Amino acid sequence: MRPGGRDGAPDAVVRVVARLLPGPSLMVAAGLIAKGYAEVGDGFAAGVIVALAIAPSYVALGAEGVEAALPVLRHAPAVAVGGLLLALASGFFPLLLGEPPVSHRPAPGEHVVKIGALELFTPLLLDIGVFLLVVGVLTVLLHQFGRPRREGGR
Amino acid sequence: MVVIRGGAAPPGAGQRHRGSAVDWPGWLACAAALAGFALCLLGWLAGGGAFALPWAPSLDLELSFALDGLAVLYGLLATGVGALVFAYGTRYLSLHLEHQRRQAVERWRFWPWMALFAVAMVGLATAQDLVLVFVFFDLTAVCSYFLIGFDRAEREARTSALMALLVTVVAAVAMLVAAVLLYAAHGTFSIPELLARAAPSATTTLAAALLAVAALAKSAQVPLHFWLPRAMAAPTPVSAYLHSAAMVAAGVLVIGRVHPLLARSEAVLTGLLVVGAASVVVGGVLALRRDVLKQVLAYSTISQYGYVVMMYGMGGAAGNGAAAFYVLAHGVAKSALFMTAGAVTMATGEDRLSRLGGLGRRAPVLAVAAGVASATLAALPLTVGFFKDELLFTAALRHGPTTAVLAVVAAALTFAYVGRFWGALFLGPPRGRVGSTPVLLVAPVVVLAVIAVAGGLVVEPFARLAEDAAGVSAGGPVALSPAYHLDARAENLMALAAWAAGGALLALPRVVDRVSRAVAVAGERAGPRRAYEMAVHALNRASTALHDREVRDLRTSIAAVLVPAGVLIGLAFAATPTAGAYVVGAVVGADWLILPLLALVVIATVVIAVAKARLAVALALSVVGFALAAVYALVGAPDVALVAVVVETMLTLVFVAALARMPRAAPERDAGAPARVRRRRRDAIAGGVAGVAVFASVWGFLSQPAPDSVSAEHIRLTPAAHGSDVVTVIVADFRGLDTLVEITVLLVAVVGVATLARRRLW
Repeated sequence: MRPGGRDGAPDAVVRVVARLLPGPSLMVAAGLIAKGYAEVGDGFAAGVIVALAIAPSYVALGAEGVEAALPVLRHAPAVAVGGLLLALASGFFPLLLGEPPVSHRPAPGEHVVKIGALELFTPLLLDIGVFLLVVGVLTVLLHQFGRPRREGGR
Repeated sequence: MVVIRGGAAPPGAGQRHRGSAVDWPGWLACAAALAGFALCLLGWLAGGGAFALPWAPSLDLELSFALDGLAVLYGLLATGVGALVFAYGTRYLSLHLEHQRRQAVERWRFWPWMALFAVAMVGLATAQDLVLVFVFFDLTAVCSYFLIGFDRAEREARTSALMALLVTVVAAVAMLVAAVLLYAAHGTFSIPELLARAAPSATTTLAAALLAVAALAKSAQVPLHFWLPRAMAAPTPVSAYLHSAAMVAAGVLVIGRVHPLLARSEAVLTGLLVVGAASVVVGGVLALRRDVLKQVLAYSTISQYGYVVMMYGMGGAAGNGAAAFYVLAHGVAKSALFMTAGAVTMATGEDRLSRLGGLGRRAPVLAVAAGVASATLAALPLTVGFFKDELLFTAALRHGPTTAVLAVVAAALTFAYVGRFWGALFLGPPRGRVGSTPVLLVAPVVVLAVIAVAGGLVVEPFARLAEDAAGVSAGGPVALSPAYHLDARAENLMALAAWAAGGALLALPRVVDRVSRAVAVAGERAGPRRAYEMAVHALNRASTALHDREVRDLRTSIAAVLVPAGVLIGLAFAATPTAGAYVVGAVVGADWLILPLLALVVIATVVIAVAKARLAVALALSVVGFALAAVYALVGAPDVALVAVVVETMLTLVFVAALARMPRAAPERDAGAPARVRRRRRDAIAGGVAGVAVFASVWGFLSQPAPDSVSAEHIRLTPAAHGSDVVTVIVADFRGLDTLVEITVLLVAVVGVATLARRRLW
């Protein structure tokens, strides 16, 4: 992707929008996860949406620009690994209790605390884990491809 | 071990110095083996014991161990001989590495395997579950692979290691098959239960024969014996251990463990007898004329375990008792002889009998100790070996005259090759230079010689060990009464006859030479080793040819997946009835929206096939994706549609970004126009086969939706899982394990991409 600058810099509107887009996308993602068990959407879709919101920043600002503007992106690998670990933990914790993996708590039929559509039980952790993993992985991918070539060299 | 290698000593003079430092991992293994020996002994004196842990209860697998007589015998052998061999190895390995100018840290590639070898043997000896036995059985093979191939710079060592692994592991599959057969018939893997339940039947016979095949390959019996002489490429401590107490002993151990099962069928016992006798003769005759020290001993091992297999074939209390006793006496003698060979080679730098001689004067202690070990193997009085042959003769006499003659022949051959081995080494005119022999290379041989003589004087402890072990194999108490009898009983006469015949063989080297050479040549020409090598070469060639075809370029590797898949689907369709399988349904409602979308997909696909510009291909691909996402939404799969849309968007972006990183100029086309035409035709055929197959299978599937599919069950259970969106519940709960694996793959994939693109994650 072309870094913003001398050759065909994106105009100010694009740059502002690109910088602001990740914020609202997080809200959409949160919504998808919250009502995931009841309606369309899950952690995976939420993760891709956030990554899609990050992608225009790479187009508009260039890899260096976006990483300067959103230094938090630097933690993408850690987010990916952490998400995977969270998801694996949510799947395998029953082994410690002597149950088969991916048996969720509260168990089927038991009472679940609900906040609106959001249900508080262990599959939620799996969903959040998948969400973090997808955001992290796709951001790493954007970072890998978004660098100007002269820096990406060996 | 990688970590340890990473922390290797800095190159330079320092290493040499470190090479001579104390080999503490070796001593640690030695101490562990000694502790194991003490535990086995205490356990035996305390009357044994057993414990079981659940392993995989849903498959009826148990980690069940018991210290019975057989376990004690092999456990003591593995740990006792192990401790001595390990002590010997601490010195031997240091010298070996020094000679080859290798770093002392390579010990770490040796001792863990050695220790695991010992652990696997003890585990095998005590395991009471057939699958567990299989696991330990293969574990010894894996250990032997790494140990035989320890000198990995040498081609010989590598091929030998592979041969040992292939022959024993492939044969071991027979054991697994037998376990499954028995489980299917009797519903248990537990050996004691199987022995109680299995009645004589065709299944029992088949399973017993399969178990015997696995065990015989491990014990290097004819015709699967050829891996053992090659395995001599291993460092000497490995050979000593592998021949006397580990790997090869594992085979007869398994026979002893499941012997009551084998004894259910007369045919299997006769088979054992025949294979054992053949091994005795082939091994013995070939051992008579080998020149390399360790080769003589290797063929002798084939012959000696042939005895044991023969005795198990005789069966009954006498046969089982004699077999157990034989394993014990042989283990002591053979490990001593191997360590002798190693010590001689270390001292003189020679490993051939023809270049050695007259060492008796110059290394008297070793000569005497090796003499005792040889006498033990040759069954001379005053050694424990005398009783092994006495018991053999008793069992053979009880079995029949043919067996008795075979036993005498076997003993005569043993006498001859052992006599030749010792005589050529220690008698005659001095030959070769003799350096110093380190104490640690001689002391273990002396200890074993002392044990052999002690057993020759007081045989009771040995006999009791063998009685207890044979009790397990025979399925009832066994009484052995080995003793010296100064009278003309049949056993004594047979022993005298064997010594006389052996002496005659020694006195007639020319005749022996000719016979042995003829057997060796016949073995080279038409032997099983040749068959093995041809099979391995043919497999190699087939695999290479297939590989070359598959990876020639991107198209062929895609075709390698699509074309076979298409052909297989085609075959499946040809084999299934087609009546009513392909229905053209009515087009109603939303279908009118789907049809133009599918037409769009078709157009985009054609564009992908003919477009020259990369960007056009990428965009056409995304058109296909979005059109299909719209189809999902229309057929009532909004979850899939949402994911398809977002993923397709992302994919297009990544695609375009990746294209931007590629060189602008297109790769040069090869000039050969006819080749291009041929390739284009081939592409069309490959695409056609794959496409038609997919089309037919999708059509067939949509024509006959399964009436009570698993999805109905998913929908029924979704409320119980606190959800109302089936897809999410499937992903997170019903098929949660799949999801966990898939997301792990996702991370692994991105690490791969990042490493390829920039060699780091960020």
